[in-house]
Amino acid sequence: MTDPKLEQLEGLLAETQDLTNAATLLFWDERVMMPPGGAAARAEAIATVTRVAQERFTAGEIGGLLENLRGLEESSDYDSFEASLIRVTRRDYDKATRVPPELVGEMSRASALALAAWGPAREESNFEALRPHLEKNLELRHRYVECFDPPDETYDVLLDNFEPNMKTAEVRLIFEELRDELVPLIEEIGDAGEIDDSFLHAEFDQEAQRAFSLDVLRRFGYNEDEWRLDQTPHPFMNTPGHRDIRLTTNFRPDDLSSLFGTMHEFGHGVYEWGVDSSLARTPLHSGVSLGLHESQSRTWENLVGRSRSFWRYFYPRLQETFAPQLGSVDEEAFYRAVNKVQPSLIRIDADEVTYNLHIILRFELEQDLIDGRLVVADLPEAWNAKMHDYLGVDVPDDAHGVLQDMHWAGGGFGYFPTYALGNVISVQIWDRAKEDLGDLDERFEQGEFGELREWLREHLYRLGRKFTPQETIERVTGSPIDAKPYLGYLREKLAPQAV
Amino acid sequence: MTVATESPQLERLQAVLAEIADLYHAQQILEWDARVSMPHAGAKARADVASTITQLAHGRLVSDEVGNLLADLDGAGHDPDSTEGALIRITRREWERASRIPSELAGEMAQASGVGVAAWDEAKAASNFESFRPHLERQLELKRRYIACFPETDDPYDVLLDEYEEGVTTAQVEEIFGRLKGELVQLVERHRADSVADLPGPFPVERQNEAGRLVLAAFGYDPESWRLDETPHPFAAKPGAGDIRLTTHTDERDLTSLFSTMHEFGHGVYEFDIDPAFARTPLGRGTSSAIHESQSRTWENLVGRSRGFWIWFYPQLQPLFPDALGGIDEVSFVHSVSAVRPGLIRGDADEVTYGLHIILRFELERELLAGTVEVSDLPEVWNARMKESLGVDVPDDAHGVLQDMHWSTGLFGYFPTYQLGNVISVQIWDRARAELGDLEEQFARGEFTPLRAWLSEQIYRHGSRYAPADLLRRVTGSGIDLEPYLKYLHAKFA
Repeated sequence: MTDPKLEQLEGLLAETQDLTNAATLLFWDERVMMPPGGAAARAEAIATVTRVAQERFTAGEIGGLLENLRGLEESSDYDSFEASLIRVTRRDYDKATRVPPELVGEMSRASALALAAWGPAREESNFEALRPHLEKNLELRHRYVECFDPPDETYDVLLDNFEPNMKTAEVRLIFEELRDELVPLIEEIGDAGEIDDSFLHAEFDQEAQRAFSLDVLRRFGYNEDEWRLDQTPHPFMNTPGHRDIRLTTNFRPDDLSSLFGTMHEFGHGVYEWGVDSSLARTPLHSGVSLGLHESQSRTWENLVGRSRSFWRYFYPRLQETFAPQLGSVDEEAFYRAVNKVQPSLIRIDADEVTYNLHIILRFELEQDLIDGRLVVADLPEAWNAKMHDYLGVDVPDDAHGVLQDMHWAGGGFGYFPTYALGNVISVQIWDRAKEDLGDLDERFEQGEFGELREWLREHLYRLGRKFTPQETIERVTGSPIDAKPYLGYLREKLAPQAV
Repeated sequence: MTVATESPQLERLQAVLAEIADLYHAQQILEWDARVSMPHAGAKARADVASTITQLAHGRLVSDEVGNLLADLDGAGHDPDSTEGALIRITRREWERASRIPSELAGEMAQASGVGVAAWDEAKAASNFESFRPHLERQLELKRRYIACFPETDDPYDVLLDEYEEGVTTAQVEEIFGRLKGELVQLVERHRADSVADLPGPFPVERQNEAGRLVLAAFGYDPESWRLDETPHPFAAKPGAGDIRLTTHTDERDLTSLFSTMHEFGHGVYEFDIDPAFARTPLGRGTSSAIHESQSRTWENLVGRSRGFWIWFYPQLQPLFPDALGGIDEVSFVHSVSAVRPGLIRGDADEVTYGLHIILRFELERELLAGTVEVSDLPEVWNARMKESLGVDVPDDAHGVLQDMHWSTGLFGYFPTYQLGNVISVQIWDRARAELGDLEEQFARGEFTPLRAWLSEQIYRHGSRYAPADLLRRVTGSGIDLEPYLKYLHAKFA
């Protein structure tokens, strides 16, 4: 028989989850459907629903139940639903109740204003217009950090919001290893001569891109009954309810980059889709961390979507779709073009190798800002210097430099490292999947991706948030986070002698 | 509401109401999305979310805090004719109603509505009443529990009716419908031998959409704040100020989508033109279902089926469908889209037979609630009554008892407001013509702005500031009156 206290807890958590789902839908609708005239009312509605969710979660009732449920937690198997639910909720609750609601409100208000300023600032390449907002965001982050026990490093507290339990020092070690290997690798690749990818920059009908992308997604496991795909300027994935997975992508008229963006978002979506349905309407029903989430988006985008075997199956179909543009381009040339490594200015357009250096740069600058070694006014200069050091590129203006991402305006300090951690984790999991499944390439060449998806579902997706990210990685791969497999993969795939 | 106020109680009340309005906004999006964009499999989770939001909004409204604020404000001497007075009046009405309903029942009703509409969708597609039956029984059970929260009411149906149409009683509706039924049956008989041919299609969907856009643009649709989507059943929604959403259903066999688009525009423009100062308060929406429907029917029928309108629009419509309409002149066209044709589907019915569809539903709802008609017998009774009142044979339940969504979501007591809307529309229309002169002449020139501005000034901008009966009296000088409507029908169809 279910413990009545547990049932009560589940009821309250279901309600919080419902409110979160409502807010998720309001956000999706705003980006995809809402006429612009509705913006002011929508901002109020999202603020209210989010606040009510937060209020109800932290109201105290849940705290009392968690105390009462200590006995049940201790007497239950660590892996059980009950113990996991209580454990994870306690962690969420402890974090949420440390921060006064006024500060939460101030942080979201400041972020909203900063995001509103970021758009025009980027368009006009005017860092000065964003500067006071970033300063405000940083000041609020310091007040936020003060709500917690003194950490080893201030940045730890921020990182924990995106990669729970991970320490800045651990990230630093991994990133140093990446940087030491990747900077010379990029040079080697550069010395080997430029790869021709000019045919990727042509006119590609957006409707045809969409049809082709949907063919790919259906092969991956997308179906109309549970998923949808829309067009927005900034691609994202969200899920306003169990079995309701929404991807967006940005089909551009003049290149094919969105094909990869779409597979990327699919990876986020399939992770959410695969969480065990028995966890629905609980806080366990989602991916466990941004790093793990990104490991899956990068798996489907890069490990699958930029592999030779994937294109062995799909290239003839793509060629047929875009005969005038690609008719005379053979599969090998296409494969090389979509895997071209070349230092560039914009993170989201970066290749698999240089991408990580974009992240490392942001990670270092964030810490400098948070620790006061760098003032906001000097940020553009510091940015440009590091871009030159790590990637050898000169930043022409702030729009193509420090203003390119919305994260800092949105208050997301501590978010960036999870992108590169995701790359690292993706290959650890990938290697493990190959051990179990044998030759994946053979299946991909046949257009079969179901076994991989089901393996990932069985070993990773279905766990949801039951375990910590570290526990999850260990359970899936048998070892802690480790950059070596990823570096091995990059070298094998992209070092000049291998191409 | 941006009303200067010295009263901390009023300020606090407005803050709570704003929060409830925001939850209602979320509710609207949850519903709109479920009908327009949600992947099918999301229905179960969606029903949970809708239920939670409804319970929370309900809980906020019936809280002791609101009760105490209302008690304080009642003694504070706010002028009942002021907007503050109106806000307090309408909040008290809603608070008193909602306080009778336990939050669990409110949540159960929202839950059943989400589940019911999905079941109805499937049942209708398969024309399988049996699969829908348990859901309808569940809805009736919930309605009976709901009605039981108001034990002092004379007629149980009054409880339901009052929710959509403040102040209107079942007895009043019975009287109006009784008289109307006799008149309509006679009119239908008179036209039974008519042989106005249906317009031969096909009418390509893209071209119909273009026609719809032309009309909406002339009426005052603005893409900055409006959108138009395709759904099996047309509807209008306003999640929040400045965000008006219409849907239509386009079938290449006929031009009904054009009329349903004008219909939904009528709902949309009423909401859009409400005084922005009323946003996030209970004053910021149309005052009743019947007044709302009077406006959708105004734009659909009184404007959209008028001679003047077609003098302006037919020359634009004809070239869009050269094959179908090339050989049909404007007079025959208008004749055809206004013809009396007893049919199966309420949504497609002409101005004369429409009322009989409503009266049938009104009667059945009362009998279902009273238990004199069993749910399991409903299809049979439906079909017999359709034969009796309209002389048509219902081939299957999809074209019979399953055609409307309303009962699946628990909307009992709503149908009568459609027909009351027709009645009211002509009362207001007569007033508009008295003040604005020859409207048809303006329509013939493509001018709809004077009419909209007048309606806006008289009706739309007030939102719910006036109770429906008060609003009607302010505009027309009388209560609900069947005579102008009968006169209109006789002039057009006798």
